[in-house]
Amino acid sequence: MPLAWYASGGIALAAPASSPLPEAGAVLADITVQGAVTDSKGEGLPGVNIILKGSSRGTVTDAQGRFSLKVPDQGAVLVVSFVGFRSQEIAAPTDGSKLAINLVAEDKSLEEVVVVGYGTQSRATVTGAVGKVEAQELVRTPASANTSALVGRIPGITGRQADARPGNGTSIQIRNLGDPLYVIDGVQSDAGTFNNIGLNDIDNISILKDASAAIYGMRASNGVILVTTKRGKLGKPVINVNGYYGIQNFTAYPRPANAYQHLRAQVEAEQNRAQQDHRTPGIVNDPVAGNITPDVLEKWRQGTEPGYKSYDYYDILFRPNVPQWSGNASVSGATDNVSYYLSGSYLDQKALIQDYFFRRYNLQANLEAKVTTRFRVGTQISGRLERRHTVGVPGTDDYFNPLLSVFSMWPTESPYANDNPDYVNQTHNVNVNPATYRESITGYNDDDYRSAKANLYGQYDFGFGLTARATGSYTYTPHTFNGFEYTYNAYKYNPTTKTYNTEPGYGNQNPWRQQVRGTIIERFAQLQLNYNKQLGDHGLALTAAYERFDSDDRAITIHTVPPNNTVPLQLFPNQDYLGDYINETARAGYVGRFGYNYKQKYLFEVLGRYDGSYLYRADSRYGFFPAVTAGYRLSEEGFLKNSGVGRVLTELKLRGSYGITGADAIGPYEYLQGYNFNRGASVLNGAYVIGIQPRGLPTTTLSWIRNKTTNLGVDFSLFSGKLAGTFDVFNRRRDGLPGVSPDVFLPREVGYDLNRENLYADETKGLEGGLTYSGATTGGLTYAVGAHATLARRFDLGYGQRFGNSIDRYRNAYENRWGDVGWGYHVLGQFQSEQEIADHKVNNDGQGNLTQLPGDYIYEDVNGDGVINGLDQRPIGYLQGGQPLVTYALNTSFGYKNFNLNIDIVGAGMQTFQRAYELLVPFQNNGTSPAYIFEDRWHRADPYNPDSPWVPGKYPAVRRNGGEINYANNDFLLRTVRYIRLRNIELGYNLPKAWLSKVSLQGVRVYVNATNLLTFSTINDLQVDPEVASGNGLQYPVQRLINTGFSVTF
Amino acid sequence: MKFSLKSLGLSATLLLGLSTGCQKDFLDRTPSDIIVDSQLWNDPTAIAGLLANYYDRLPTHSTIYAGSNEFSAYDEAMWSGGGNYPNDLVNYDAFRWGNWDYRLIRDINLAIDGIDQYSGSLTQAQRDQFKAEFRFIRAYMYFELAKRYGGVPLVTTQLVYDFSGNTTPLQVARSKEYEVYDFIASELDAIKGALGNDASGGPIGPSVTRATRYTAMALKSRAMLYAASIAKYNAASGLNISTPGGEVGIPSSMAGSYYQKSLDASKEVLAGPFSLYRSNTGNLGENFYEAITRKGANPEVIWVKDFLSSKAYRHGFTYDNIARGLREDNLSSSTTSPLLNLVEAYENLDGTSGELKLRNAAGTDYIYYDNLNGPFQNKDARLYGTIIYPGATFRNQDVQIQAGVKSWNASTNSYQTFEGGLGSTYTSTATVTFPNADGKLLTGSSGPQSNQQDVSNSGFYLRKFVDSGAGTSTRGIASDIWWVRFRLAEILLNASEAAFELGQTADALTYVNRVRTRAGFPTPLATLTLERLQNERRVELAFEDHRVWDLKRWRIAHQVWNGSPTSATAVAYVLFPYRIVRPGSAMDGKYVFEKQLPARYRPARNFQLFNYYTFLGNDIRNRNPKIVRNPFE
Repeated sequence: MPLAWYASGGIALAAPASSPLPEAGAVLADITVQGAVTDSKGEGLPGVNIILKGSSRGTVTDAQGRFSLKVPDQGAVLVVSFVGFRSQEIAAPTDGSKLAINLVAEDKSLEEVVVVGYGTQSRATVTGAVGKVEAQELVRTPASANTSALVGRIPGITGRQADARPGNGTSIQIRNLGDPLYVIDGVQSDAGTFNNIGLNDIDNISILKDASAAIYGMRASNGVILVTTKRGKLGKPVINVNGYYGIQNFTAYPRPANAYQHLRAQVEAEQNRAQQDHRTPGIVNDPVAGNITPDVLEKWRQGTEPGYKSYDYYDILFRPNVPQWSGNASVSGATDNVSYYLSGSYLDQKALIQDYFFRRYNLQANLEAKVTTRFRVGTQISGRLERRHTVGVPGTDDYFNPLLSVFSMWPTESPYANDNPDYVNQTHNVNVNPATYRESITGYNDDDYRSAKANLYGQYDFGFGLTARATGSYTYTPHTFNGFEYTYNAYKYNPTTKTYNTEPGYGNQNPWRQQVRGTIIERFAQLQLNYNKQLGDHGLALTAAYERFDSDDRAITIHTVPPNNTVPLQLFPNQDYLGDYINETARAGYVGRFGYNYKQKYLFEVLGRYDGSYLYRADSRYGFFPAVTAGYRLSEEGFLKNSGVGRVLTELKLRGSYGITGADAIGPYEYLQGYNFNRGASVLNGAYVIGIQPRGLPTTTLSWIRNKTTNLGVDFSLFSGKLAGTFDVFNRRRDGLPGVSPDVFLPREVGYDLNRENLYADETKGLEGGLTYSGATTGGLTYAVGAHATLARRFDLGYGQRFGNSIDRYRNAYENRWGDVGWGYHVLGQFQSEQEIADHKVNNDGQGNLTQLPGDYIYEDVNGDGVINGLDQRPIGYLQGGQPLVTYALNTSFGYKNFNLNIDIVGAGMQTFQRAYELLVPFQNNGTSPAYIFEDRWHRADPYNPDSPWVPGKYPAVRRNGGEINYANNDFLLRTVRYIRLRNIELGYNLPKAWLSKVSLQGVRVYVNATNLLTFSTINDLQVDPEVASGNGLQYPVQRLINTGFSVTF
Repeated sequence: MKFSLKSLGLSATLLLGLSTGCQKDFLDRTPSDIIVDSQLWNDPTAIAGLLANYYDRLPTHSTIYAGSNEFSAYDEAMWSGGGNYPNDLVNYDAFRWGNWDYRLIRDINLAIDGIDQYSGSLTQAQRDQFKAEFRFIRAYMYFELAKRYGGVPLVTTQLVYDFSGNTTPLQVARSKEYEVYDFIASELDAIKGALGNDASGGPIGPSVTRATRYTAMALKSRAMLYAASIAKYNAASGLNISTPGGEVGIPSSMAGSYYQKSLDASKEVLAGPFSLYRSNTGNLGENFYEAITRKGANPEVIWVKDFLSSKAYRHGFTYDNIARGLREDNLSSSTTSPLLNLVEAYENLDGTSGELKLRNAAGTDYIYYDNLNGPFQNKDARLYGTIIYPGATFRNQDVQIQAGVKSWNASTNSYQTFEGGLGSTYTSTATVTFPNADGKLLTGSSGPQSNQQDVSNSGFYLRKFVDSGAGTSTRGIASDIWWVRFRLAEILLNASEAAFELGQTADALTYVNRVRTRAGFPTPLATLTLERLQNERRVELAFEDHRVWDLKRWRIAHQVWNGSPTSATAVAYVLFPYRIVRPGSAMDGKYVFEKQLPARYRPARNFQLFNYYTFLGNDIRNRNPKIVRNPFE
């Protein structure tokens, strides 16, 4: 019985027939050859094809890698082949000795198939800057959102997860260009959808970093992330079940002051304030502690007597070791005519705040069938349900209030009246009392997305290199928000009567019920022709396509004032708001690509897109976005290949690309004149009248931004791919950034603005590169070490800006200078004594230094005019809150026997953190402050003795309402953030195959891993995670996740 | 190859045919919230939508629906909400009050042109009435600009840019300050007939929300009074703030005619269907509160910005300003703490000064009152109607205003002061030992507390404009109290001031005494001074966005708020009531009051000469070189 052979992608695949091969008939005098095939680790390889060369006779190895085959006793040669390994030809021994065949894995990287826009290419012939991330690398970060799994994987990707609440993704950019376009299985999509497809369902991700993205036209300016989901692979059905369970903690969050520190700071603030006002400090009246006399303060310091208890609202709010877990089961496989991949997943991530969680279900079904030998049809069907659940905290963002509570609550206050958990304490600001953050008390909010998407395609192969393919896609995404915020009472405990008392203004008496019901429909259609032909040494590839996409997003919001806390029905008598929302988008484009190579040595490609968008006027909707890429594989040149260098230098390719991409620069319907409906309103004669407002001038002078993207790169590998590297320099120049002409001065009195035009320009330029080194020792240790880094920064080119004076130019010019520069004062030091303040010649605070105390910052009077003001501010710092300008990573993996160890380290630099509010101003928002502000501060040795000596500290003396000059932007408060983070460490163990075969399992892997286990950052002392963007630090930081998991393959 | 080319061609044709056939339609999308000319100009309902938008966009400074924190920026109140603006205002910014809103003026001009051009199927009366209403809004807008900047460019038609690069034809120079006021007067005179809308009928009937002939005359009354007092006192004060071209500064010779125009306009309003609100004769304080807040059967209001709860058109002023102890929601409340300075401006009903009696004649000891409202007896009823003072009630509930207790310490022969949390009792606990603890109230549920937010920091709460309806201090229900732009009492005070300045003192007394009689003064004034009238406006129109503008036009703002920490009018004062704990003494259980400097508010108010006219700024002048700078700029 012959083996069934299929050709696919140039790699020979062999699938064994369903039953073991019978031995060939004894025509000649045959001998039996026996042997075993192992891989580099010495593991037996099952399923290896052993063929007698020149015949159809052959066999496959068994589960232990053993085989026996009858061969002619003279000159028999065995061809040993296996997917992913280099084939070998071995002369059959005639002495009856056993063959020990060690198969070497191929240097697959060159034959690896890379998804590029509208097709695939082999790695060897790729000429654009295209990165690729494989499934097994992605799953190493068990993230609840897929963008987080991309961090640190390949050069060029920068990431920052400022708000890492459950279900939130990481802000990913390619070369700091801006938000990229996501394309999932060929259909344009968005970050939210990408984040929420099943992590296990992703086969690979390609990243178009340069002009090769131009094939996506007007949306390609920031690069494209191409996602391909898994397909069934030829062979027996593979059933896989995997899952993990982990525990999460914050990497960092500031700790609040304790009661003693909080009260002592109030006494100090009074002392400091009194000094500024030249009066005697009075006794401080604290609403909880009463008059803070020295005796009282001492009791709070000791904290032992009843009533002097300090409450740590960090501990009260954030539970330690909160679970995150996930399970996934899939079955996949393919036969001659049908391939299938079916998968279901569940993910559950709890928040550190009780009753908050994120939950997601995913289904994915990818099927393909051959209808005739030339016609195939297929589908990718996916469904998901996301639920973001929080308790119904009154106010805007349900995560913000708990984060705020850490500093809004006073450590002297109990969350529960008399510490009795049945009674919420009416604290000074009960809205941030964590006792209320319980679903049973304050209600709930559920934010749900349910999405069903079906891609259907048919493909016809004309048989001479031409294929035609038609794809249709429909996505239906209902979104519901369901919020119910209850009223609740809060109590004060009266110790005399031993009663819990409540009053009308206590607790929350603002019931709130809201539903949003919306549906997003996305439709996509595509026709594509591909022609691939190898004519001798000439390789041709042609692609032409037309596609269009539109979306229809509608939502209705209903709000009621519910009459009680129990009935969720929203009834008209209680309704006080109804909102309606409609938004449509539409895009269409023609795609073309022509690729040519000569002997896979000279590589050349032109591509382009004629792209249209609904955003622009009918007569100027379409733009053309072409690109050209070229490559030269020096290593294929005879003089290299056949020289000594060639034996070392396996691959050397020079790449270059140049192209034009677009970016939207305008809002919907800006080209329309007319009147906006529902803008403002008045009650006229007792009736509500919806307002209508004239629009400004219609925008007819603004088109998309044109980006010129240039990339030069080199790929190389040495020692048969053991050492491989890639290096790129790039520049994206954006022309036509929208702005108002600086040459036309339209008086403000005309009452409208001049239209924006495509005027301004900037560049983002940088470098990226990476090296990997991999190999194996004779002792059975395999290893791979990779390092890569990216530097990308914006440079403003500007256009004809006009300036009122030189300081205006100095301060406000956006031309010929790096972008996103922060401004502030340079701190020379801190005042060391009152005498130094008195002697200080420069008016530091604008008030003759009357408000200054020892420990306050001394600012540099740069212009020497004797007073500190805006003219003394100088550039300090980099971009705040955005992507770091420098990103680097180290990825390592080691294997030994059945163990493997992976360690990923990521780092970043050139970003700036500017402290603000809670992290800066004592008693911000009438609350408390981080302990370090009240601890490491300038103060008098005795807070009750205004003549006691000053004790130095890191921070200025504590003030309550005052000392604002210390909070001005300055280079003491502003910190350059650099960090190195142990992103992943994973230890896995594959159960020996020998054990598994007894229970008919293909493979079992168990592992433990940790994400963000260690972080070294320049703002560790602020107890803020380096990815947090908000200056007050009140963001849900990334978590340290410690995980254990398994994967079983049947 | 032949075959392939053919197939390719075929496929390409197919592709193109499919795409070009529908490409235009496919990318053409219809917005859901934009209408066009043809849908607007012949539909009176839609034109009313334009009006609703324009009325809503009228400039504001300190109102209950926008800028309510600015109530605390002068000498009426201090800020007791979150943050410390405006208590921290060391100076008033040179660009303060800025509002160069020529967008609204352009939209009005566009509407006037639109009606002329497109509204062919409306009746002539409808067209006239709409145009008159748009012109009223424009006149009001120019008044708001003039009181901030002085003379401004008078743009009365659309300025259309031809994209030639030449903007010179669009440059309009500033008019003289008096020219703007003259424009306002002539516009109002021109449209008052067409506005109709009075009791005699007109297209929309009587209205307090849309402009009527009386609204027009009320605006004229106010605007002409401003012009007159600027003309007189810019010179009389010796300041003579002006520009050479007259963009700022009105010749003093014009004062008389402006006073006369104001008086004439006031008389037209007074001849109308309005009267002072006097429905609640049994309680003059409540009556005064109702005069501003009562929506039905209120003959006093002339023009308001109205709200409507049933259509969710409402504001959070009551949520933000309900007395702390009465609040029905959590988070906000009590953000505006009226100052003792204002409280003492309310006279005693016997006509004597309103200064509170807090210390004995020798100044050696407190005056001991039996009740918390002791110092506020026999006061101008408008004090009650405007401000909740210690011992007062609101919504038929006591507002507990008591800062703490003063406990007698016999050994030191002095009082020791204790303050506690809101609603706390003077009871010793495990943690706190109070001398002579008596278990009675320590600190009221409404404070005051000196250094906390969302509770009075001054000892007083606002009553005017705070809704007495149940639930209105919750965010869910909120309030639809209206904002009064014009009411008859102001017109009477305008008339009184104009008559006084014109030497018609008898008439002036008649007008002002109508207002004072309603406030409960049994004896009419027999003599009149400007200072008296100034105080009358202060107390009658408190928290109605008059104070700063009045002081500016009288050219006394820089004296009243002179920035001096020793000036009684520039420094803010608060009043903290304490209960006496002195067992065995007659003083025990009585109340004393301390006048204090507020802890959260220390700088003296500092109005500088450059504050009389808001700076224009480089941007305005760079775009139109015909615009001259304001003085000091």
